[in-house]
Amino acid sequence: MTWTDEELVAKSIRGDADSFNELVLRWERPIYALAYRTIGREEDARDVCQETFLRAFRALPGFRGQAKFSSWLYRIALNLCRDWIRRERRAPVVQPPEDVDLIELAAAAEPSESIEDLVARKDLSRLVEKAMTLLPEEQRTAIVLKEYHGLTFQEIAELVGCPLSTVKTRLYQGLIVLRRELAKNSKATL
Amino acid sequence: MTELSCSYGDDRDEVIVAFLYDDPDVSLAERSRFETHLLTCARCQTDVAALRGVRAQLARWSPPEPTFGTGNPHSNPQFTPHSALHNPQWWRAIPVWAQVAAALLFLGVSAGIANLNIHYDQSGLTVRTGWSNRAEPLKAGVSGSTEVARGASPVADAPWRADIAALEQQLKSEIRATQASTTGAAPAAKSVAATASDADVIRRFRTLVEESEKRQQRELALRVAELARDVTAQRQADLVKIDRTLGVVQNNVGIEVMKNRQQINQMDLLYRASQRQ
Repeated sequence: MTWTDEELVAKSIRGDADSFNELVLRWERPIYALAYRTIGREEDARDVCQETFLRAFRALPGFRGQAKFSSWLYRIALNLCRDWIRRERRAPVVQPPEDVDLIELAAAAEPSESIEDLVARKDLSRLVEKAMTLLPEEQRTAIVLKEYHGLTFQEIAELVGCPLSTVKTRLYQGLIVLRRELAKNSKATL
Repeated sequence: MTELSCSYGDDRDEVIVAFLYDDPDVSLAERSRFETHLLTCARCQTDVAALRGVRAQLARWSPPEPTFGTGNPHSNPQFTPHSALHNPQWWRAIPVWAQVAAALLFLGVSAGIANLNIHYDQSGLTVRTGWSNRAEPLKAGVSGSTEVARGASPVADAPWRADIAALEQQLKSEIRATQASTTGAAPAAKSVAATASDADVIRRFRTLVEESEKRQQRELALRVAELARDVTAQRQADLVKIDRTLGVVQNNVGIEVMKNRQQINQMDLLYRASQRQ
């Protein structure tokens, strides 16, 4: 039987450790992905993810279900990312990718994907990562939450604490910057 | 370059974003108003097409695969969130150093039991059991010289050898002492003394054996660690070479692929333009 997040939260509050385990399993990848795309460092993203669940676990008895559990987790993770960025006192830096390891590439290849397609996909992913680092934190967060986590504009607005129209404007401005940077980088690669 | 103008209104950016993401909160009337505008506005057409392209590119960005292991209750039945959350490393896979340490400990104990002699040099990896090596000094023609034999055989250098010799001496002296005491004492006193002496010998023997085993394990773990370090260094050197070679290949392939993609995109654009006309 599949429990909803809210049911698992209720069981966790009553002391059922397995239920919290289930929540961790369910949300660790999205939270890690959010952290990685926000701060751009694999190791630190893992730390943020770990800390997110640690804080959630400690604060669970106080969670009254005003918001969705996922939104609550996202908020904790985003606050931690923000703290990390402040602490680092620098713009988030995506780990500079080393030369592509072809063995790793081959392992990552889709069965129907040629090595050329795979290299192109990796290159594009690298370009996107690089372009994302140029965005201000607010625009990047809006794009990450919308594009990769499928949150509604309203949810994003509540999460980051700004009006709905501001979220849309940030998204538009972020996309415009990305459009320019991606076009520039594509030309530079040729 | 000609600057395209748009007369849509102040909320144009927001409407474009809502249109791009198919925002369900936008009313049908508002949506159809923008769609009507889009038919005649070149600037909005360009923006919408370009931003759709950006979204398509964004979809190709995936973060590196994280290592989730110990936090998985399915893979670890002992896992509990409570214990895990109190362990800072709870959700990661076991750290590399811990795996290496565990492997070394295991190898050390195994090698200690087998009395292994592991050697890694220019000629490659050599693994021998110490027991099979005992005859080597004789083969080398140095019979009768214990000191030379020790220098020639790693087994002769083993720390347990001295311990065994000391133990042997101790046992001999104990036996002599026991024999001497039994000749002049009463039978009852003999029995008590012998029992106490046996217990003492056994205790000392055990202590010596335990110490000897610990020393062997430490030494063998050290040897295995040295071997692992050598192998790692060699492996890293090889990987650097491979990386350099593959980097060149990958760069060339990447450039070719990007060129091809560009050509395909241009053809696609031309095709779309011809379709519109």
